[in-house]
Amino acid sequence: MIEVKNLKKSFGQNEVLKNINVTVKPQEVVVVIGPSGSGKSTFLRCLNLLEPITGGHVWIEGSDITDKNTNINEIRTEVGMVFQQFNLFPHKSVIENIMLAPMKVRKVSADKAREKGLELLRKVGLAEKSDAYPDSLSGGQKQRVAIARALAMEPKIMLFDEPTSALDPEMVGEVLEVMKQLAREGMTMVVVTHEMGFAREVGDRVLFMDGGVIVEEGLPKELFENPKEERTKAFLSKVL
Amino acid sequence: MDIRWDLLAEYAPFFAKGTLLTIGLSIVSILIGCVLGLFIGLGKMSNNKWIAFPFNVYITFFRGTPLLVQILLVHFGLIPIVMGQTNAIVAAITALSLNSAAYVAEIFRAGIQSIDKGQMEAARSLGMNHVQAMRNVILPQAFKRMIPPLGNEFIVLIKDSSLAGIIAAKELMYWGQAMQGQYYRVWEPYLTAAVIYLVLTFSLSLLLSRLERRLAVQ
Repeated sequence: MIEVKNLKKSFGQNEVLKNINVTVKPQEVVVVIGPSGSGKSTFLRCLNLLEPITGGHVWIEGSDITDKNTNINEIRTEVGMVFQQFNLFPHKSVIENIMLAPMKVRKVSADKAREKGLELLRKVGLAEKSDAYPDSLSGGQKQRVAIARALAMEPKIMLFDEPTSALDPEMVGEVLEVMKQLAREGMTMVVVTHEMGFAREVGDRVLFMDGGVIVEEGLPKELFENPKEERTKAFLSKVL
Repeated sequence: MDIRWDLLAEYAPFFAKGTLLTIGLSIVSILIGCVLGLFIGLGKMSNNKWIAFPFNVYITFFRGTPLLVQILLVHFGLIPIVMGQTNAIVAAITALSLNSAAYVAEIFRAGIQSIDKGQMEAARSLGMNHVQAMRNVILPQAFKRMIPPLGNEFIVLIKDSSLAGIIAAKELMYWGQAMQGQYYRVWEPYLTAAVIYLVLTFSLSLLLSRLERRLAVQ
């Protein structure tokens, strides 16, 4: 579903990703952990080309997104993304946030988009907030709306970039709950997070990144209980 | 200082005519300036240095030289070349539009760049192309932020239009100077002109703050 081969990314002289190789299978939930500055967010942002790629290839469902002839806008409709800072559109109501892309990109009618939007809001438990504006929502509610907005495009893959890092602790649970439900429904997900409990419980596979490389990967149980690399052990001893 | 009300009464029709021309000059110039400024602002934001360069030169020139000099250049230089002979009103509108376009371009650019880059990323991650994201996400937010500085620019333009009197465009200041020349009076013509400018700019700023409040509520 996602195949990453020899992915390299530099900001000027600073090499942030050095030769990343990953394959994500359909319905798999891959959790990426690692210290700040390890390149995990950059890695995620390369998967839908929000960051231009310096070297290597990324295939999304067989299309090489590093190929100039690939229509990246089309690929992005299949790859939803949820951001740490939510990035809801503040000038639009909750339901308008969700309806915008399906109407503009997929040319869905307003009625259909609204119907679908309300259904998604029910799914994330915010049906009563459909006409509210993002400013009036709590962080956890904002993030659940952001998830609904991404799902409205009916993506095949969902990318989560530290979705709970900007939340007050009491709101982390409600967002993780929505993500767990998505995983149970069989969504293919790549999740960058500091929530080790979530990684262990929901992840099919965990990647530990440090210094722009994948240091170690494996089943959550193995990686958390029997880390092989020194750097993984050092990191886990600080966060667990 | 005793005020000669009789002279003021005599000049009242001229001041009225001049005020109308001042309003007309300002409105036409700000409209042209906005359209031109939008275009120049977008040009300056281009990632291609060679495209951005001429727009940078334009902004630097029109912000870096006195408006009076620009008015004289346009009146005695540019307009005769284009039209065969000069015309004070056309020259005034041209100079004021070109000048305000440079400021509007910067207001426009700053407005767009003040929007958090996460907004563009979110829109693009949903599959919108650059134009769709600009139209539906960035510009509606940027426009709200651009209203106060655009309002300031409009106020500045109303006041700057007084320089058009120099090239004998018969606006408010032109009649002020005419009255001074005819009767050797200072306070009557210039205080009258000052009060009329103040009424114009003050009404505009009231109008703008109401508009701002309405947009803030939405």
